[in-house]
Amino acid sequence: MTNEATSTVMTEVACPMCGHACDDLSVDTAGASLAVVAKGCERARSSFARLSTVGDSALPRIDGKPVSLDAACAEAARVLGAATLPVFGGMALDVGGARAAMELADQAGGVIDHMNNEFGWRASRVVQDGGGINTTLAEVRNRADLILLVGTDAVSAQPRFFERCVWVGETMFDLAPASRRIVYLGGGLDTAPGVSPDGRQPDVFEFDLMRMPEALSVLNALMAKQPVTGEAPLGIALARWQELVDALFAAKYSVVVWAGPAFDAAQLDLNVGAVVSLVRKLNVTTRCNSLPLAGNDGDLSMGAVHTWQTGYPMRTSYASGAPKFDPVHNGITRLLQTGEADALVWLNSLADHVAPPACGVPTVVIAPPSQKLDGEPHVFIPVATPGIHHSGHFVRTDKVVTLPLRALRATSLPAAETVAMSIAAKLREVRT
Amino acid sequence: MSLIKLSGGRVIDPANGVNDQVRDIWVRDGYIVAAPDGNEKVTAEYNISGRIVMSGAIDMHTHIGGGKVNIAREMLPEDHRGDTVERTELTRSSCGHAAPGTLAAGYRYAEMGYTACFEPAVLPINARQAHMEMGDTPMVDTGGYVMLGSDDFLLRMLAANEDQQAINDYVAWTLNATQTVGVKVVNPGAISAFKFNQRKLDLDEENAYYGVTPRRILQVLSRAVHELGVPKPLHVHASNLGVPGNVGTTLGTMDAAEGLPIHLTHIQFHSYGTEGDRKFSSEAARIAEAINRQKNVTADVGQILFGQTVTASGDNMVQYRNADHGSPKKSVIMDIECDAGCGVVPFKYKDQNFVNALQWAIGLEIFLMVDDPWRVFLTTDHPNGAPFTTYPHLIKLLMDRSYRNAMLDTINPEARAMSNLGSLDREYSLYEIATMTRAAPAKLIGLADRGHLAPGAAADIVVYRENADPERMFEKPELVFKDGELVVRDGRIVKVVRGNIHAVKPEFDIGIEKKIQPYFERYHSVRMSNFKISNDELCECGGGTKLIPHACKKRG
Ligand code: SF4
Ligand SMILES: [Zn+2]
Repeated sequence: MTNEATSTVMTEVACPMCGHACDDLSVDTAGASLAVVAKGCERARSSFARLSTVGDSALPRIDGKPVSLDAACAEAARVLGAATLPVFGGMALDVGGARAAMELADQAGGVIDHMNNEFGWRASRVVQDGGGINTTLAEVRNRADLILLVGTDAVSAQPRFFERCVWVGETMFDLAPASRRIVYLGGGLDTAPGVSPDGRQPDVFEFDLMRMPEALSVLNALMAKQPVTGEAPLGIALARWQELVDALFAAKYSVVVWAGPAFDAAQLDLNVGAVVSLVRKLNVTTRCNSLPLAGNDGDLSMGAVHTWQTGYPMRTSYASGAPKFDPVHNGITRLLQTGEADALVWLNSLADHVAPPACGVPTVVIAPPSQKLDGEPHVFIPVATPGIHHSGHFVRTDKVVTLPLRALRATSLPAAETVAMSIAAKLREVRT
Repeated sequence: MSLIKLSGGRVIDPANGVNDQVRDIWVRDGYIVAAPDGNEKVTAEYNISGRIVMSGAIDMHTHIGGGKVNIAREMLPEDHRGDTVERTELTRSSCGHAAPGTLAAGYRYAEMGYTACFEPAVLPINARQAHMEMGDTPMVDTGGYVMLGSDDFLLRMLAANEDQQAINDYVAWTLNATQTVGVKVVNPGAISAFKFNQRKLDLDEENAYYGVTPRRILQVLSRAVHELGVPKPLHVHASNLGVPGNVGTTLGTMDAAEGLPIHLTHIQFHSYGTEGDRKFSSEAARIAEAINRQKNVTADVGQILFGQTVTASGDNMVQYRNADHGSPKKSVIMDIECDAGCGVVPFKYKDQNFVNALQWAIGLEIFLMVDDPWRVFLTTDHPNGAPFTTYPHLIKLLMDRSYRNAMLDTINPEARAMSNLGSLDREYSLYEIATMTRAAPAKLIGLADRGHLAPGAAADIVVYRENADPERMFEKPELVFKDGELVVRDGRIVKVVRGNIHAVKPEFDIGIEKKIQPYFERYHSVRMSNFKISNDELCECGGGTKLIPHACKKRG
């Protein structure tokens, strides 16, 4: 083990670069950029390196001209004060950033909608319609004997899923990790990580992902002992489908993995609803749980804070002074397209890769200096990243575990929450 | 320096034996002090002659924060629609009825004269989130009871026959690491058993994998809590919740503590017999008799009140079983991190439904048949029996026999016929209400400076206008002070403050980490260093909340 007092390598560092929130990284803080030297994945290595080097000296800008932080916050407050319905997008934040964003959005009378929420709100609607039976990463790691990946290879969303949850050294309960059965539902997936350490190939049910509703119907029908037409649904022999159903019933603790963004958005409710129904059927006689993969770009951190503070998930309007939840109406892409929204705040501290939409309304961008931009916004305020420059908290994929994020490197950039609270304070002045 | 004088109020302070005596109360810098000598300047004086004065109320069991509560919020937009809290100059907007946002919960508790709330089901691995949610619950002090008993680490210790000392170290380590104020066990061992596909677990039935019984878990945990000197007795959600005939299990659970302090929570749900045509009957009399007889036993009721609510519990085995009775019919059930589980099921209690009506009567029977208000606590197990906003109504049911009997006349007649509620004449006095909502919970949890009004107490003070209708009186206090600041006037927030967080700090042998750390590395999804919540981090999670640590004195 490294002696942290003398070494520049920090150990057991938590990573906020995807929803998996691995907390076993070793990060060397000595160089020009942060270097992930043990554990971690390619995404972690490149993100820590990039976000730690970006312009410490970056200055806030108004219409491209450098200004003081105070002036930029004042202008942002003026924009919000003048708006009837300001919308808040991006929202790749940790818990601290999300708390401040809530304060600001409530006061500004706006709407918060995370950039991944086109999937998130639909997944939430499934919970509101029927619920589900879910599990968490440590349970998967120790108990899962059959893992069914529905439309996702897991690793595109969360690169270390197999390394940390599946092909581990040992489990607690007389289950040899290498003996787990891996089944992929859907084509075009990266199935290589599903090969067991002793070389056993996973089962792959190859079909066009757009046909996922049919595939899940076949499984649900067979489980309910209902007739299925055709010898080979989706071009796959019926016997294979039946064998999978039998295996799910025989498994002691199967896990069904899905990821919202892997589905066609319009099919998401249907697919997730079908997964829930399948899981419920299996639990009549054995144990089976879903594991939704989410949390990327802090979407669950923002979502959790939004829900606990006001009761409602995102896409709630604070315009009237009381929360009004309407996820169909309040998508910010829609609000911008229809002209209902008249100001945009693009607020990120954990991610820089999605540019704010070009929308023709006054735009305030509060983001890391490396934030991708398609054009110069009216106001730009560079901020630090939690887990790199300052401490923070990050909600993991299973919505149960929150990891502490650490400050690894000094910066002169302010935290997103400092900026949001400063704008909120100035907005109060504008309003009174 | 501030010096506040509350003049001429009628003080009800059971912790100090004061029953309706006219006294002045002095507050300096957040604490109650003796009358100062002559010339000190009074910064504010409130003439409250004729008013009733009590210390701030304490809810010792309310689900206000943590993963399952947030699932309930997400799941129930229909719960929130009719119940919004508008933004004001002072307060933020929020909403929710049975599953309110943290902001709404904090404001409403304060408006009802509550100044401290304890979340009874903090999963160790979810403790950080629970603290973040409690930190975002303004106005009130908070604290949590950490859930043990289905965590694989403890079950492995028991299967390996590790000694009580090692278990004590683990329990103390967990309390410190999760920054909690007590220990809870939920359906002992059964959350783990459900993961091995067991669907029920009686008190002396073995967990299929570990061979450990619920009784054994109760024995070692109640002993650990006692020996560590944690004031709050082990908080027990007993086996077989809601099952007709569970009274035997409940009485057995009391016995399992072997005379050590034990608290049975939401005992209403555990007081059922199998008499009658419907094979469902009240065993409140036997339960009350057992509590009256065994001075080591305390209980909170978990009263149900009619209407829509949501049940949120760590008991995933029982919640899975009840999911089909949900209304609206939806549920979330979870296995959690080799640590615990949870289940969220919306529920509507109906006064014309035989079972619900009898549950209502059973809760009230227990309240009225347990003699000692120091050992029975006023809860609805918010939101499981009803939202906490129903407390003033519940107080009226306890204080006003004719009102109670009038309601009894309206419920399902078969249930009425099977209850002896109508024959119970007792009416709670204000002194007894103050005992069960202030003095007793403070004493039970070990909050030396809360729940009373003597010099040295924190100035959490509530001033009520007396009213013949106790519901009117308790739903809208005239003044509420939190740590010496006036925060509510006439039932409205006038100042938003942040409460403190209470946590116990029992001593333990740090050598236990030599066992815990490798366990985390071999089996867990997080590292031990990231599991533990330091004092500094706690305050950050709480958004700046002040930690009030409570030392523990080892016993035995
Ligand atoms: S899998 Fe995700 S959390 Fe883990 S190291 Fe890679 S990017 Fe970070
Ligand atoms: Zn409870």
